[in-house]
Amino acid sequence: MKLSLSRELSELQRIVEARRAYFAERGLPASLAYPVDLATEELFVNMIRHNTGTREPITLELNAVQDGVAVSLTDHDVEPFDPRLVAPVDSGAPLAQREAGGLGLHLVRSLVGAVHYEYRDRSSKLSFLARERARA
Amino acid sequence: MLDVQLVDRGIRLAGRMDAATAPGAEVHFERLSGLADVDMSALEYISSAGLGVLLKSHKRLVAGGGGLRLVRVNPHIAEILHYSGFDMLFEVVPADGRA
Repeated sequence: MKLSLSRELSELQRIVEARRAYFAERGLPASLAYPVDLATEELFVNMIRHNTGTREPITLELNAVQDGVAVSLTDHDVEPFDPRLVAPVDSGAPLAQREAGGLGLHLVRSLVGAVHYEYRDRSSKLSFLARERARA
Repeated sequence: MLDVQLVDRGIRLAGRMDAATAPGAEVHFERLSGLADVDMSALEYISSAGLGVLLKSHKRLVAGGGGLRLVRVNPHIAEILHYSGFDMLFEVVPADGRA
């Protein structure tokens, strides 16, 4: 499944609808829906907010693989930005030290494990594999 | 789609609280005072954007001696609260009623 996304938060609804249709078509396990939705949202929103120098659409691809779903998001005509290099949030910090924001990539890693980053021909590509056994 | 209702003891969330819908919920959380319950029984999904709204509201209420209590939390949402460390910051009551 391949989707071209405008750089708008309203696209999140279209992402979920397309994901639901793809999961139904391919008979993918419902247990993978939440991790795929969350990781896709967090990475998509990250691209919109950090790669502000382009108006190109973002390409989302979902591919059923033997033991899960491979997901990639590609942002075109952008400078390199690897979100994996952002300092991790301390999820054990007390309330007074917690701030809204910064949790996205932490949750992505918790739910789907490693995120891969590739920069080529002015395109940034983030990808992950959602699998049952990848979850904590 | 996210539905937000102010109820007797706090607020009730239903649907998906993501980066598109969470900002619209914030105005409802700003109306809460003291100790307030957030009924999450019909909340299907929450991302970091929704967690940010909860955290901001909780910090405001705690500063005044109150706070948010997250109640009727289903297992999917409880997992997210655990990974984010929110289960250490909030009182969380699962959907089956056990503390």
